[in-house]
Amino acid sequence: MNVKLLFCAAAAAALASCGPAPIDPKRQIGAHPYLPDIHQYLVPPMHVATNIGWNGATPKAALGLAVKAFASGLKNPRSLYVLPNGDVLAVETDGPPAPINRPKEIVMAWVMNQAHSSVKAAQRIILLRDTNGDGVADMQTVFLDNLHSPFGIALVGNDLYIANTDGVMHYHYQDGQTQIMTPGNLLTPLPGGPIDHHWTKSLAASPDGTKLYAGVGSNSNITENGIGAELDRAAVWEIDRMTGAHRLFATGMRNPNGLSFEPQTHALWVVVNERDELGPDLVPDYMTSVKDGAFYGWPYSYYGQHVDPRVMPQRPDLVAKAIPPDYALSSHVAPLGLTFYTGDALGAHYSGGAFVGEHGSWDRGEFNGYKVVFVPFADGKPSGVPEDVLTGFVDGDKDHGRPVGLAVDNSGALLVADDVGGTVWRVTR
Amino acid sequence: MAHGTSRTTVRIVGNPLHPLLAAIPFACFTGALLTDIAYWRSADMQWANFSAWLLAAGLLVAVFAVIVGLIDFLFDRRVRALGVAWMYAGGNALALVLAILNSFIHSRDAYTSVVPMGLILSALTVLIMLVTGWMGWELVYHNRIIAVEDRT
Repeated sequence: MNVKLLFCAAAAAALASCGPAPIDPKRQIGAHPYLPDIHQYLVPPMHVATNIGWNGATPKAALGLAVKAFASGLKNPRSLYVLPNGDVLAVETDGPPAPINRPKEIVMAWVMNQAHSSVKAAQRIILLRDTNGDGVADMQTVFLDNLHSPFGIALVGNDLYIANTDGVMHYHYQDGQTQIMTPGNLLTPLPGGPIDHHWTKSLAASPDGTKLYAGVGSNSNITENGIGAELDRAAVWEIDRMTGAHRLFATGMRNPNGLSFEPQTHALWVVVNERDELGPDLVPDYMTSVKDGAFYGWPYSYYGQHVDPRVMPQRPDLVAKAIPPDYALSSHVAPLGLTFYTGDALGAHYSGGAFVGEHGSWDRGEFNGYKVVFVPFADGKPSGVPEDVLTGFVDGDKDHGRPVGLAVDNSGALLVADDVGGTVWRVTR
Repeated sequence: MAHGTSRTTVRIVGNPLHPLLAAIPFACFTGALLTDIAYWRSADMQWANFSAWLLAAGLLVAVFAVIVGLIDFLFDRRVRALGVAWMYAGGNALALVLAILNSFIHSRDAYTSVVPMGLILSALTVLIMLVTGWMGWELVYHNRIIAVEDRT
């Protein structure tokens, strides 16, 4: 159903509050995005697409590329991981139930329900294997079950790490294994419930294998659950793989995901979901290299020293330290997947660049995101504008699916998790 | 039967319903003003949450108070003939519009859900309802509009 109509039209008629007209998202791409004035709504627009499924259709791949379903019928696959033998792990997951602290959250829960899959996630990891190499998984096993809102996966040798929303679990993994039977052990607890607003804990191992990095999102849009709920959140954690001890590697990142190491410089990169309800074009989501010890502003400011008036008490001392991120992706695209391309199967054009999975906007009149884009890189930095790689997720006011996590398989094909569509897409030349 | 009392007023077991219902939004909105002030002074979000719930609860009961009040007002010529009844209805309508706006303001996140607009609207709503509340007592005790008639 058209929630936008319900909220926005009624509000516009009665209160004229739907805010400024959206600007061209192209103006908010790159190192120096255009940042309009803050507009605080009376009634924020909530525009979510109704899911109609794929019914045999596929997304549209960029010119020169082809796309096919690698696996379908999955329950909310949100992130992917490719094991050394080519097996693909698909994480079927969903967030924990959100507590209702305010009347607003009753409405929000209902709207989010429209935007997300009606299929209940299974809270497990499915192993997908393509035994005959035809680009379609012909074997599926339940790799790990009874997890707690899992998201990130990292493998170092035989040590497999799964980031549940409340902690990093360690399992022993043998090459070729299709199911993990032995119970894991908790390496490091992560901030989870009872409030667990941004629950996806992205995970990556450092190139030398000694450290794990975990993305820990904020516990609110902008501290409306109190600053106490934000302890050790909105940060990238660095975890010692041997002891499980952690420190905050970087802070002030509202919801960091897609932790990946840039192949040339070995710098850690993330995509970050910035804050909502300051207008259709604030604040642009971004991708950035993560500098050790850096503070990226949240909640006190954005893009450096742009102060957010909603945070009290304010912290001018921290605002002064805030650094702007490297590369804006435009507002509310909701980037959740990031992977660098080191193969050549898709063509030399893509080598060394980054794919970004944009889950798509929900609080903006005009949809933004709902696609997979490619950002070319040179010398470890973005070197051009994003190109559409996979589109066609949205069709007018309906959607077929929504892209989330990305991975590159051993043949160099790009894999895209589509949570609402219940599909893993495989992009080839 | 007492003279000058209304026959058509909505009642439960002989008692008029509107004054009972109207007291609840008034109490809720007054509470919201107090919790808004507490948030303004402390920046503790839980106070702002209380305000949002109090506004929502007040508005919910206000829906029923309006329905019952409108019946009292529309179905009795003598009520409509009173200037104070018109002022009472108009004042309360204004207070409710402000409370609805205030609910939307309170649905914002963190500080600006209260300061300054939320706090101002909460104060204005209570001020108006203080006046209309006084008018309401006028209607009940002075004009005996919805006083109990059948018990005498």
